[in-house]
Amino acid sequence: MEFLAVVMLAVFTAGYLVLAGADIGVGMLLPWLGRDQDERRLVIASFAPFFLGNEVWLVSAAGIVAGAFPGLEHTLIEGLYPLVVMLLAGWVMRDMGLWLRGRVDAPRWRGWCDGAIVAGSWALALAWASVLGSLLVSAMSGGTGLNAGTVLGLPLAALFAWHGAGFARWRLPEDLAARAARVPVRYAVSGAVLVAVAVAAGSGLSWSDAAAEGSALSMTAVTTAAVLPLLMAAQGLVWWTFRGRVESPSYL
Amino acid sequence: MGDPLMLARVQFALTAGTHFLFVALTLGLATLVALMQTRATISGEAVHARMTRFWGQLYVVNYAVGIVTGLVMEFQFGLNWAGMSRTVGGVFGAPLALETVVAFFVESTFLGLWIFGWERLNRWLHLTLIWVVTLTAYLSAYFVLVANGWLQRPVGYEMRDGHARLTDVGALLGNPTALLAFGHVLFGGLLTAGFFLAAVSGHHLRRRTAEVELFRKSMRTGLLTVILAVMPVVMLGAAQFGYLQPTKSGGGAKAAAAEADFTARFGPDHYRAPGLAQVAAGVMMLMWLLMVTVAVVALVMFPFRRWLERGRVFHVTMIVALPLPYVAMIAGWVFREVGRQPWMVYGVLKTRDALSDTGTGTITASFLLFTTLFAVLTCVNVWLLARFARRGPQEPGLGAGAASAPAPVMTPTF
Repeated sequence: MEFLAVVMLAVFTAGYLVLAGADIGVGMLLPWLGRDQDERRLVIASFAPFFLGNEVWLVSAAGIVAGAFPGLEHTLIEGLYPLVVMLLAGWVMRDMGLWLRGRVDAPRWRGWCDGAIVAGSWALALAWASVLGSLLVSAMSGGTGLNAGTVLGLPLAALFAWHGAGFARWRLPEDLAARAARVPVRYAVSGAVLVAVAVAAGSGLSWSDAAAEGSALSMTAVTTAAVLPLLMAAQGLVWWTFRGRVESPSYL
Repeated sequence: MGDPLMLARVQFALTAGTHFLFVALTLGLATLVALMQTRATISGEAVHARMTRFWGQLYVVNYAVGIVTGLVMEFQFGLNWAGMSRTVGGVFGAPLALETVVAFFVESTFLGLWIFGWERLNRWLHLTLIWVVTLTAYLSAYFVLVANGWLQRPVGYEMRDGHARLTDVGALLGNPTALLAFGHVLFGGLLTAGFFLAAVSGHHLRRRTAEVELFRKSMRTGLLTVILAVMPVVMLGAAQFGYLQPTKSGGGAKAAAAEADFTARFGPDHYRAPGLAQVAAGVMMLMWLLMVTVAVVALVMFPFRRWLERGRVFHVTMIVALPLPYVAMIAGWVFREVGRQPWMVYGVLKTRDALSDTGTGTITASFLLFTTLFAVLTCVNVWLLARFARRGPQEPGLGAGAASAPAPVMTPTF
């Protein structure tokens, strides 16, 4: 049962890093991919229909931690307090920038929102890099909490930008995509690297100590496994609906 | 300011309070928008389609704050209340897990599809999406209230070596403090949405803007919702008094007995709920009395088209009444949560023992950061809601999509 729960958590964490990792990366590269506000709106449109469905992978991963591995919730989240706060603040800033950008028709307003999207994406990527770095170092040395890895891991943020470039390359109109294509990248490769880093980071955690006792563990693991095909189908429908290159701005 | 316990409590109260202000409208408005879209899809009339877009736009503007405050709330349990996940995480975490996986995941994915899929998807599929979004929003509220209901009245668990373990899933999911609260919140959300529709429609009808038909219909929908929701909300609220903790409402032999029992098991403490809880309960009931008065007015006005369109005093009344459901709901939550003090999990874990042992500095920094962030967000979003509501359906950003948006001028860069 514990194994099933670990697999489910791995699936949702990997899902988040691959899917949301790409839109975080595009957010980081926004000033380079879109050189004026109209272009930037188009760049945002490349991931706009997906970002709501992407970030829920992390919400669910956190839910699985709460339900199946409550022990991890406090060692990890409390232990990495400043990083988690930075991650959340970046997430909130980025999301608000995205939601609010199209709400007021004024260049200065859009400028502020673009700033929030870029700063929030960077904060999010750096916080993730730091969290992953910290976990990788703990995996090697034992123990969790803030450690040398929080600093050593920072360059991992580049992974998100790299992955974002891969996404931009096949979602943006040809001329904008060419800017992303200057970086040698394939979406599948950068996605696989992100997953590998996450799996390595998770390998050092002591899962049995953290697992919930009683029926909470099985209820969380079994329900998650049972609804997973449905969730994948829902996401598949989104991807199928918005397939191909984006040619015009969307709602955001 | 220096007390980390107080800071963590106030931070949670502000996050949860802000979250709920927006979530309540989300719950009710999603339902009404789904009904409007159903009418639009079946009748094919333009006015219903325009109603769906106008109110749908306000729904989406409102939704954004609910999302981000909800995210921070989910992580706040681990950040500030690590003692809770350490002791009772084995039970409390389960409904939160189900909420994220079974409900919120689907809600969020399909909401994205609904917002961006306008004009791209088959209209019946598009209609199905908003209904799925509405139902999963309800499911989400249910699971969150299962978690909260368990804090109020812990059931279906046993303590072993200082850790709670879930023994009876049925008792947890069927906890009356969760089920009744769910019904109460559901009708509270509808009541909020009803007042919201009536206030915005009242504004437009009073100003004699061009959209008389659209806002008369919306006013009717709003009033009908208020009329239908105002009694169930109070009945489901009153039913919860049957499960009220003895120390919540202060005084009486039962409260004294509970106090003696707690003192014997956990040592002396202030086991009676703070006076604020009683004040909040009073405010909530007063707000309901005012709302039921408005509902009677609504019942009288409802059949008369001329009054609905021209009654100036009536329009002003509906505009002024908008804060009533909001004040009632915040007061209700204060009654429920402050009334549980000093317990985090009633009779099991004290709030002060649930606090993380991160330093005061860290908690203060996170408090200031998120309070500032949410204050800005709330102000901006309330301003935007008012702005979009006042502008009326002329520029529905929602669903206008690619078709009507001007194509950006692309300059060749290579």
